[in-house]
Amino acid sequence: MTPATRHPWLIVLNQAPVVLFLAVLALFGARSAQFLQPDNLVNILIQSSSTAMVAIGMTFVLLTAGVDLSVGSMMFVGAALAGKLALQGYPLLLSILAMILAGLLGGALNALFVTRLRIAPFIVTLATLYLGRGLGLWITQTRAMNLPESFLHLGAGRWLGIPIPLVILGTVLLIAHIVLQHTPFGRQIYATGQDIETARKAGLRTGRILASVYIVSGACAALGGLISLTQLGAVSPTFGAQKEFAAIAAAVLGGTSLFGGRGRVFPGTLLGAVLIQTVENGLVILNADPYLYPLVTSAIIFVAVSLDCLRQRLVERLSRRLIRPV
Amino acid sequence: MSSPAPAAPPLLRFDRIQKSFFGVPVLQGISLSLDQGRALGLVGENGAGKTTLMNILGGNLAPDAGRIEFAGLPHQPRSPLEAAAAGIAFVHQELNLFPNLSVAENLHLTAFPRRRGFPVIHRALLRAKTRALLEQVSLDIDSDTPVERLTAGERQLVEIAKALGIEARLLILDEPTTSLTDLETRRLFDLLERLRGQGMTMIYISHHLADVLRFCDHIAVLRDGELVGSGPASAFNATRLISLMVGRQLDQVFPGSAPPPDSPPVLEARRLSHPGIIDQVSFTLRAGEILGLSGLMGSGRSELARILFGLDPFGAGEILVEGKPLRRPRPIRCLRRGLAFVTENRREEGLCLEASIADNLLLVALRDFAPPPARWIRRRPLQAAAARIRSAVRLTPTALDSHPVKTLSGGNQQKVVLAKWLLSQPRVIILDEPTRGIDVGAKCEFYQLIHDLAARGTGILLISSEMEELLGLCHRILVLRQGAIRDELQRPEFDRERILRAALHTERAP
Amino acid sequence: MKGAWLRRQGRRALASEYLVLALSVAYFLVLLPWLPELAHPRNLANLFSRMLPLLLVAMGQTFVLIAGGIDLSVTAVIGLTSVLGASLMTADGGWMAGHAAAVPAGIALMLLTGALLGAANGAAVTGLRMPPFMVTLTSMMFLGGLAVWLTQSQRITGLPPAFLALGGKPACAFGLTLGAALFAHLLLSRSLFGRWLYAIGHNPRVAAISGVPVPTVTLAAYVLSGISGACAAILFTGRLETGSPVHGREILLDVIGATVIGGTSLFGGKGKILWTLYGVLFLTLVDASLNLMFLSDFAIRMVKGALILLAALIDALRHRYETA
Repeated sequence: MTPATRHPWLIVLNQAPVVLFLAVLALFGARSAQFLQPDNLVNILIQSSSTAMVAIGMTFVLLTAGVDLSVGSMMFVGAALAGKLALQGYPLLLSILAMILAGLLGGALNALFVTRLRIAPFIVTLATLYLGRGLGLWITQTRAMNLPESFLHLGAGRWLGIPIPLVILGTVLLIAHIVLQHTPFGRQIYATGQDIETARKAGLRTGRILASVYIVSGACAALGGLISLTQLGAVSPTFGAQKEFAAIAAAVLGGTSLFGGRGRVFPGTLLGAVLIQTVENGLVILNADPYLYPLVTSAIIFVAVSLDCLRQRLVERLSRRLIRPV
Repeated sequence: MSSPAPAAPPLLRFDRIQKSFFGVPVLQGISLSLDQGRALGLVGENGAGKTTLMNILGGNLAPDAGRIEFAGLPHQPRSPLEAAAAGIAFVHQELNLFPNLSVAENLHLTAFPRRRGFPVIHRALLRAKTRALLEQVSLDIDSDTPVERLTAGERQLVEIAKALGIEARLLILDEPTTSLTDLETRRLFDLLERLRGQGMTMIYISHHLADVLRFCDHIAVLRDGELVGSGPASAFNATRLISLMVGRQLDQVFPGSAPPPDSPPVLEARRLSHPGIIDQVSFTLRAGEILGLSGLMGSGRSELARILFGLDPFGAGEILVEGKPLRRPRPIRCLRRGLAFVTENRREEGLCLEASIADNLLLVALRDFAPPPARWIRRRPLQAAAARIRSAVRLTPTALDSHPVKTLSGGNQQKVVLAKWLLSQPRVIILDEPTRGIDVGAKCEFYQLIHDLAARGTGILLISSEMEELLGLCHRILVLRQGAIRDELQRPEFDRERILRAALHTERAP
Repeated sequence: MKGAWLRRQGRRALASEYLVLALSVAYFLVLLPWLPELAHPRNLANLFSRMLPLLLVAMGQTFVLIAGGIDLSVTAVIGLTSVLGASLMTADGGWMAGHAAAVPAGIALMLLTGALLGAANGAAVTGLRMPPFMVTLTSMMFLGGLAVWLTQSQRITGLPPAFLALGGKPACAFGLTLGAALFAHLLLSRSLFGRWLYAIGHNPRVAAISGVPVPTVTLAAYVLSGISGACAAILFTGRLETGSPVHGREILLDVIGATVIGGTSLFGGKGKILWTLYGVLFLTLVDASLNLMFLSDFAIRMVKGALILLAALIDALRHRYETA
């Protein structure tokens, strides 16, 4: 019997994200010489760091076959809270901590409804998306908030010559990668996402595992909000809006499956986030109509998700139980 | 065994184990014991109670009465985890491995070796431990290989390595060779021999009698929840095992059968094949004939039925309905050509459990009562048809049409499934285990219904695990094993032992 | 004993068809002494005019939810069809400006677009077997972006008076919605399509084996949802006298909330047009009363977020009781 993984189409579908990435690079590189300059590439990386951060958390959730639509709102709540505290003269560090705490709490709320009350993740997080947006608007009194310079300084600052946003992203990426690939907890997330019933029978605490990924997602959303804050220096009422799309897209483009159990934050999700930013960056360089951006992004998401679905169907067909040797 | 009795107590002892489901006894006081380092072969027909007994041992079920003693202690596991902790490992037919994780990770999922002071996996130690386990099962693969890259045989070995990893003292193997090639099977037995030599105790469940006779020290034969034979393997041969497994004589009264008239074929299969599922299946079903399809669980009976009704694809061959080919079968097309399919699993594929009785009854026939083009439903005739078919299958009158179908008993639920197909007036009905899980009274009613349908010219393909059912109802029986037809019996030739011999592996191909 | 009785009554209340209607009436009556202006004719009229487009879209959603899916793109369909219809009809440079047939052509275009967008969603769900929420989330983003791009975020005014009358005049809007509701009700309860839809929602495998053309029927449910979006767009565009990509953008949560609060299940197989009507009534009442209390936009948003969580929770509880 040939193992399912050696099916040629499956190999193609597994490599699709990388192919897509190279195709996009080649396309824009061919259209504009400026595009492939190292400066521009570093710029893309910095610009994509907020999305990448949120997408790291999203990857955790998607690995368990769930989804978190509330990340954009959690970014907003965290940023609004941090901004408010900073404007009232509290130290920078305290407002940042408050921000992360808000993310953790938001994630815990999602986790509660998903694991304890067993409501579909997309409904829970859709509701908390609206809840969070409302809460953030309340904190900001629906006005744009200009933050103290200290945030922008943080964003423009460097540590050992590396821009601070990349330092934050790199640290979290490294931790997330180690957790997922090299800790028992990480490997158990993969097992739970693959088959929650078998995981439960094998003695894993699936409830805890599920709950923790939503909390991780909340924390990553808050950190993503922090990076955005240091780059924008202001909180508008649409801060973080539709970030959930970009995050899901980045994860799925990076090879994470919506059906759970498959995907990596490094290089996968990082590549995915950079890919999305690359497209946007390329559109800017090509002087495209800014109103086109969401069209292009959503088309890319659609392609990524449909490839994932095709892959899943193929896997299901290949793993049909046999009753005689082939 | 005629070993020079060392007075060591047995490792495992079942003491008068009883278990019933819904009042039907499945195990009727089983007492058995097994010494350390021996292999027990457990054989019996479908439904004899083997799986239930093993599920009790493995912590999936609790016995109604009786005790189990394991390694000198009472054994009452409340979950598979507790059974595993006690040292009992169960290698299921459907392997419980995570294909997206590596071999090493699958072997240590709940007990990863960690680096001191960090919650990080100690990869080097993990590899070393895994290599040691894989060596024990003679599997020469890299410990970081994802399980999805392994063949079925290699996965089986990993599953056994997992048992060794938890230091199991008793290994339960349920049909481990089903999807293995001959070479892989031989490797598996080499390994099992060696493990036994090292003192591992095993329970081996299989329909491959030759394997059981050759490999096991002891054999226990179950029939209808009773232990009908037990002793050293040398005391048995295939013929004796089969006659023990069959044993029972016809003790139920069935409607008398008429021989099939010389009628036209309604359903034909010509050399139907699909890799890994069925192989060169050909048969002809005539109008008014009841054709039985016998075979053990996993012999491809249900798979064949699903292919005939267009639910699963087939690679080669041809299906003919009333003499004309049925190309690219789909349920809708089959339905239009006069086929009906009462599926094996009534809760998942037969009924919309939450929907009302009426909605279920009428689902198939609905389109006939909604004339095009507008497709509005003509309710009067529909209700009349529902009432008619209710009485035709003798559905209990206390159940109102508006009640959810899940409130009915199993027998009445099954009548609803049959009735919904009868409303479309099929020429051929495929019945997959139509009487599973229903009480004796309802069964007899069902037999009468099947008989009447055939008498009125419907062709019936009856799949059943109950030999009595097939012997009592059918005009002809086909026996399936590993997806191929192994024997065909006309009514005068009906013989339980011959059927069982064809269904079981009594010899292994060289 | 008393606890068991209470629990039984609680379950019965949860399962009752009229729970939401009773809740709406009770809510109205309780609030009346504190908010007498709620019963003011102008507010009541306003309440009904806000209810109508929501009801239309919620009815479309009901079909999709019964089939076990969900359509998050419907608000974007409203925006896009509004923009397309207005671009065709507007007097300032519309494709058919001033033409006698502009209004019927505009309406036809809107309905056709709605149907096509629904069909596209349905095709992705049935053909590629993508998760419905993912498909419609993506198309929500795409269609919303498309509408903004087409108009460059400008409103389109100068619509023909005949069209404004149709969508804007309460009597017309009411007539349109009532007609649609009757049709939807009959379709669900009396047609082959309706019965098949329930069967698919209950158990798609059983339905497929029983000869139900599952992909076609599921696709049709999304088409209906798309058409309902187009109908709502006619009302929005007529009442506000502009074609705009932001029409209806705020009602997504109301749509799903109202449908699920009414009793249509997120698990599929259960739902009625009448229930959706009750749900819409309840949600509109809450909305109106919150507005009259001068609660801010963000507070209303939070209340609605909480409401949908509550509705989903009640749905999950009902489902658990019924499958137990």
